[in-house]
Amino acid sequence: MASVGEGIRGPNIASADVQLPAVRDYEQVDREIIATLGFTKQWFMGLSVAVLGMLIGASAWIYQIYWGLGQAGYEPPVMWGNFIITFVFWVGIGHAGTLISAILFLFRAGFRTSIYRAAEAMTVFAVMTAGLFPIIHIGRPWKFFWLLPYPNWRLLFPNFKSPLVWDVFAISTYLTISTTFLYIGLIPDIAVLRDKETNPTRKRILAILALGWRNSDREWRHFAKAYLFLAAFSTPLVLSVHSVVSFDFAMALTPGWHASIFPPYFVAGAIFSGFAMVWTIIIPMRKWFKLEHYITLNHLDATAKVVLFTSMVVGCAYMIEFFIAWYSGVRSEQEFFWNRVFGQWWWAAWIMLLCNMSLPMSLWSQKLRRNPTWLFVLSLFINLGMWFERFVIVVPSLSHEFEPWQWGSYLPSWVDMSFLIGSFGWFFMWFLLFVKQFPVMAIAELKEIVAPRVKHGNDGGHH
Amino acid sequence: MQGVVGAFHEIDTTVSAIEDLKKKKLGDVTVYSPTIRHELERAIDAPQSVVRRFTLIGGLVGVSFGYWVAIWSSTYWPLVTGGKAIASWIPYTIIGFEVMVLVGALSTVAGMFINSRIPRLSTTSGYDARFSGGYFGVFIACDASKAGQAEELLRHHGAVEVWREA
Repeated sequence: MASVGEGIRGPNIASADVQLPAVRDYEQVDREIIATLGFTKQWFMGLSVAVLGMLIGASAWIYQIYWGLGQAGYEPPVMWGNFIITFVFWVGIGHAGTLISAILFLFRAGFRTSIYRAAEAMTVFAVMTAGLFPIIHIGRPWKFFWLLPYPNWRLLFPNFKSPLVWDVFAISTYLTISTTFLYIGLIPDIAVLRDKETNPTRKRILAILALGWRNSDREWRHFAKAYLFLAAFSTPLVLSVHSVVSFDFAMALTPGWHASIFPPYFVAGAIFSGFAMVWTIIIPMRKWFKLEHYITLNHLDATAKVVLFTSMVVGCAYMIEFFIAWYSGVRSEQEFFWNRVFGQWWWAAWIMLLCNMSLPMSLWSQKLRRNPTWLFVLSLFINLGMWFERFVIVVPSLSHEFEPWQWGSYLPSWVDMSFLIGSFGWFFMWFLLFVKQFPVMAIAELKEIVAPRVKHGNDGGHH
Repeated sequence: MQGVVGAFHEIDTTVSAIEDLKKKKLGDVTVYSPTIRHELERAIDAPQSVVRRFTLIGGLVGVSFGYWVAIWSSTYWPLVTGGKAIASWIPYTIIGFEVMVLVGALSTVAGMFINSRIPRLSTTSGYDARFSGGYFGVFIACDASKAGQAEELLRHHGAVEVWREA
């Protein structure tokens, strides 16, 4: 990285060259990132709203356990509704974190450094949220361990050919590896907190969490190698998880589901929605924590290009679905896709197309890519659109299968909506607790970008 | 551990101190830095990390176990589903892949812990809280007979503070 920033920091900077010109030394990084850990009134208010949302969801769960799954608006033929829609939605959100931390790490994308910690934490909490929904959906949550295909003597058949079993493996592996990746990256930063902490109790807790890390050359050498291999493992894992989630649908013969395009379509959609949620989180965060010089407009610009690209991939997948239905000559598929956009569920499909295909096209404008307010508003539309994408995948297909006498409808009940609200409350509660206990930006990695002090002349930023 | 520690505020003086210490062979050198710096890595010139072996072995064990558990369970409960063979290697590749990633990644972490000698209950001798902040540290493990020479060398290269560890 020779002469970074010298004459190349133009408005349309290449993402790999994103730098932090306003960050001068290591002490500044420590001071400003640790300052974000202080409690504020706004944080307490945000946490209160999140806890309230979570309690709404928890109350609905107790109600549903008492009265049964019928309270959630399920009736034949639509036996997958809000729970599976919201499950896929949160798994999708959970994709951007590992994409940013692992794939962009392997590609040496500079804009990753400032945002990856928040995105990784988002991933862990999003997958934790997603993991609740299959458990909620089985109706008797205390029997959730039956999902695991371990050999047993209760006449439960461990069917390793079932996509639902693949899903259990994929999601649990993803949660374990994402959590491990987050924690490993946190260790040097926890050591920084430990060394600066004055409260003895908190210092002791941080010392345990830092595992005795002391920044020695031996530790860094093995850390760097382990981090590289974790990134290398996480990269195919990211791609596999949502592919496996898509198999839950694509392995069935149901119209609208049985398509070989599903894995790449789901992966692109997951990255798209995940980046939108990253915006929803980091744009207010950079303002409230006064971190605009760490998450610069160049960072937002680079992420906006990823969102634009994945929006086009997703839009292309939508169009190909319609094309294949027409080109296949299969009457049920043609009827189904016509019904999707002009029939019973037209409003859901048009919300999806507007939010996921049309509005992101605004990002062709550099001015809008560098406008945090617009990116935040757009992120809310994309979150909405991606929830409706999963609605459009799940509900119209189940309600409109091959036999007209089987056709039905689905109306989410207040229990469904409470679970949806509860999932956001649960997710944001964990995230808000996280940002006040651990650095929301990777201190050690930010220091890699900042030029170290030199005695005999500046080295010109050679790292 | 007995030795001498020098705290540096600049990376170039740290690098020159490390290079000189290696030439003089006063004792084993440990370098502390707030982040990974390639300049320091080059000066230390340590052998490559062996973590990759843990990764390879963990990955191979994982993929083997993943396939084995799926094939063994299927042959123990031989029910035909979806018209597929009892032990179908194509769908079982998903299980093999996921378990490979799981065991391989956890072995990598185990390899990092074992080779870095963590977790440990306390930071060992030679460490100072400033080394996670803005300072670089150089620790030379040596007895009292060489300590004076080491102290002089560290000061000569620009250490802002030098002290002995008993």
